[in-house]
Amino acid sequence: MGLLTNILLAPFLGPVWGTRWTLEQVDRVVRDELTDDTPIKEDLMALQLQLEMGEIDDDEYVRREAEIMKRFREVREWREKFGMSTSGGPVRVAESGEPEK
Amino acid sequence: MTAAESASAATETAPLEGKYVYCIIRNDRSREFGEIGIGSGARVYTVTHKDLSAVVSDTPIVIYDPTRENVLAHEFVNETVMREFTLIPMSFGTIFRSENDVRALLNSTYQAFTDVLDKMQDKIEFGLKILWDRDSVVGAIERDNDEIRRLKDEITRNAASSTYFARMQLGRLVEAAMEEASNRYVNDIHEQLKEVSVASRSSKVIGDRMILNAAFLVERKDEKSFDEKVKAISLQYEELLTFKYTGPWPPYNFVNIKLKLEKAT
Repeated sequence: MGLLTNILLAPFLGPVWGTRWTLEQVDRVVRDELTDDTPIKEDLMALQLQLEMGEIDDDEYVRREAEIMKRFREVREWREKFGMSTSGGPVRVAESGEPEK
Repeated sequence: MTAAESASAATETAPLEGKYVYCIIRNDRSREFGEIGIGSGARVYTVTHKDLSAVVSDTPIVIYDPTRENVLAHEFVNETVMREFTLIPMSFGTIFRSENDVRALLNSTYQAFTDVLDKMQDKIEFGLKILWDRDSVVGAIERDNDEIRRLKDEITRNAASSTYFARMQLGRLVEAAMEEASNRYVNDIHEQLKEVSVASRSSKVIGDRMILNAAFLVERKDEKSFDEKVKAISLQYEELLTFKYTGPWPPYNFVNIKLKLEKAT
């Protein structure tokens, strides 16, 4: 969350006419960061590799896996808030028009 | 509560109203694969449409976290099915609300599934990750590269007077030689495995010690030759590289069907 922190903590200076543009940019950047699970997947794969190579033990793995799962769930929540697609969970064929139960 | 715990807790309390789909196979009759499903060992069976079947188990409607436990359960079912069938793996966590919804998937994607099953018939995947031991590789480079060896000797001999510039130059030469070595190893290994595989796909490397993260598609009948080849290569590079060799897997990295699915709330 480095970028996000920088943006949130940066003093807000600048002409008023720039405000709208800046907010839109910030909005886009923040949204991209909140909804991207690529770095989380990479962290999970790196963690798995560390376990396989015997660099960490099982307890350490389980502890860090729990943190990563929490981040996955946060990203999923943001994606849902922004109306973006998510993986997993209940699905059906898109154009089937099957009535819901 | 961890994700695995919350998912298994849900399995005990919530009604098993969904169908978790593991893979698609060519099969026209009802089949059982044992009580090995995700959650807490649910019964794994088939839902069939014409000559295609989805391999499923009953599940509450939950979102499964990709924990090791859950992912291993998903993979274990696919491994079991794979002993008898060529399969198209579904992505982790896919749940349909009813058998009818699963049949709708088989029906709407019938042609694509059939084509891919034909293409993947009797093919399996192996994963190969290769990591290097930096110190050994640097050692090998210093042995083999005259220019680097000379420069290093010079710096060592004149430790006091050797310049910052000379050290910088040595560092740069070593870096370049390492990149060249990495490419040379990877190319050589790919070349050797080409004879015993149908296709290969490289993914992004993980961490800074990995130089290759690849999947190989292999004919079932060539499994033994592929195996032997990998063993021979790992002996050849024994001193420099570590091989992480896994499989056989379903063709995870060689099947890419975009399913038209929407959220069923």
